[in-house]
Amino acid sequence: MRQFPTILSYELKNYFKNKVFVGSTLFIVAVLAVVMFLPNLMDFFGSMGSGQEDSTQQSVILVSAPSQELGEGIVQAFTTAFPDRSVTLTQDAIDQIKAQVSDGRADCAFVFDSLTSYTYYVLNRSLYDQTTQTANQVLVGLAQVEAMAQQGLTIDQASQILSLQIDAKEELLGVDQVQNYWYTYIMIMALYMVIMLYGQMVASHVATEKSSRAMELLITSASPVSMMFGKVLASCLAGFVQLAVIFGSALLFYQLNQDSWGGNNVMTSLFDMPPSLLVYMLVFFVLGFLLYAFLYGAIGSTATKLEDINTSVMPLTLLFIVAFCVVMFGLASGTVDNLAMLVCSFIPFTSPIAMFTRIAMSSVPPYQIALSIGLLAVSVVGIGVLSAKIYRVGVLLYGTPPKLGAILKTVWRA
Amino acid sequence: MTLELRNIEKSFGAKQVLQGISLTAEGGQAFGVLGRNGAGKTTTIRILMDVFPPNSGEILLDGTPIDYHKVSLGYLPEERGLYPKKPIGQQLVYFAQLKGLKRSQAVSAVRRWLKRLGMEEYENKRLDTLSKGNQQKIQLITALAHNPDIIVLDEPFSGLDPVNAGLLKDVVKEQMEAGKIVLFSSHQMNYIEEFCQNIAILNQGKIAISGNLEQIKRSYPRDRLTVFSPQYREILSQFGSHCQLVQPGQLLLRLDRPDQKQQVMGELVSRYDVDRVQVYEPSLNDIFVEYAGDQV
Repeated sequence: MRQFPTILSYELKNYFKNKVFVGSTLFIVAVLAVVMFLPNLMDFFGSMGSGQEDSTQQSVILVSAPSQELGEGIVQAFTTAFPDRSVTLTQDAIDQIKAQVSDGRADCAFVFDSLTSYTYYVLNRSLYDQTTQTANQVLVGLAQVEAMAQQGLTIDQASQILSLQIDAKEELLGVDQVQNYWYTYIMIMALYMVIMLYGQMVASHVATEKSSRAMELLITSASPVSMMFGKVLASCLAGFVQLAVIFGSALLFYQLNQDSWGGNNVMTSLFDMPPSLLVYMLVFFVLGFLLYAFLYGAIGSTATKLEDINTSVMPLTLLFIVAFCVVMFGLASGTVDNLAMLVCSFIPFTSPIAMFTRIAMSSVPPYQIALSIGLLAVSVVGIGVLSAKIYRVGVLLYGTPPKLGAILKTVWRA
Repeated sequence: MTLELRNIEKSFGAKQVLQGISLTAEGGQAFGVLGRNGAGKTTTIRILMDVFPPNSGEILLDGTPIDYHKVSLGYLPEERGLYPKKPIGQQLVYFAQLKGLKRSQAVSAVRRWLKRLGMEEYENKRLDTLSKGNQQKIQLITALAHNPDIIVLDEPFSGLDPVNAGLLKDVVKEQMEAGKIVLFSSHQMNYIEEFCQNIAILNQGKIAISGNLEQIKRSYPRDRLTVFSPQYREILSQFGSHCQLVQPGQLLLRLDRPDQKQQVMGELVSRYDVDRVQVYEPSLNDIFVEYAGDQV
């Protein structure tokens, strides 16, 4: 292992000198900066435009009613319900109203037959058009008030009954899934992407050394174990530095723009992550990363050409995608303690993301956490040594990539 | 310093690649390892380089099992290759460090060798911008920069022009003068004949013949004469089946007994216009074809 530090520092330097590595990291940081400064930027550009322009831009809702009294009542209620739109009562005929909607002078139009019956005219209905829902609520309110008034209640009494509020208090004893959802989601995504990207990178680095025949010299200069561990740990450190830079800058930008994001639940929950979870994240990141990177390295060593890599790593990639899907389904359905997740959180290949999700999204007994981490750590060491052995055999094999069974047999004999 | 491989055996799966390889190489001399493709040369070298262990047999240095922590080896593989996209100086320093040099030592050793081979200007260039011959010289530095005790050169002359080949010869001679053990593997017999006092010819994982090249040559019966004469047709018709045409103007004459040599020589010179007549000695090429060429 005496060459290990040399290999580690050389490989690490290669990452940090790699223009794509540095460039992509900076690009992500720049994108984050834009996103995090967005509210401030929008305020800034908003204040540059004049208020007058806004009012001319404001969308118009046309209301047409059989009687003037009913029309005014509805317009008054709509004006409160749609504060950013201008509600206008019109006496025009239907054709004129349609024409106004069609040529864009009005955004949409409500033509009432009675308080509880209307036709809605709109040019293009957007995916998120909530206008009719809001209008319906308002109209139901109006109708209810009117109905109660007919029963002898005053308008005030009627609206008091309708605006009754429930006073509810919540006290959290475990984990708030709503609050934890977003950072769990982001962390799992980050873990998934880093393992995938860096795993493939380790595999292709090994295959490149082999195809350029630098391996002939490397294998006579350093032990396979040092080479494997040096390469994999270098990629792990590089991945960790990249994640740290990205998350660190995101946190910094958030701190700078905290006031603007104050009302956003996703952002506040994201950056108020408990420190203990960050530690778990680190542990599962390192162990999960090493596990997969060792395997990717071993697979890379069995490929003769760079083109072979894609097919060779397929089984491993599929395994990880399955793990990812199970976790994502569990996360999305909110049932993170279901049987599949329970099993996955102890299998070393799935436990890094499965157990992390369970810790973040529910209350996991400490012994389960310890068992999961223990199993994972033991597997990492085992897989590391096995990978180094496969590597030693694999790097000297040229030609068609050997079958897994053949490799294991050779490793067993060696 | 004496390097001894004793009865090395190695098999991959059911295929026995080496079947008892033994050879002895002395410091200050070059040892030629010869054999056809697939004879087991590379496997022998890899076992010597500690890439994998032999199934049986041992490697001794001055009579004791070799300790890879104390002895350093330099290797020029037949399959050349370094990092094509990396600056030359940087990767040479890396390889020298892997071989145990400290960074500062590695840097100065690499600079010294680049200068020695006339390659200083390429220190910060990428490897793949160099010609094949120059890449070869860079590769040679990886084998020599850490000042190894044992140097293994596999086809060192392939791809070199005569000037660079001359430079490499000088370098190899320097290393031999410094008392290093140099192991040579090549199919270019003229270089082996020039450098190697001792050779071993491998055939299908066994040593077909090994020992001092001069002695091997002398061990052949001295009962043939090579005759250079413009009158080769007349000589050919006189000696008949004893005589064989090598090429126009050159004949190979087989004698019944070695002691007929002087008599026949005199006869030839007195009777014909003879440019040159000498006792035939097999070239390394002939020896190689004889020992490595059969059992195909």
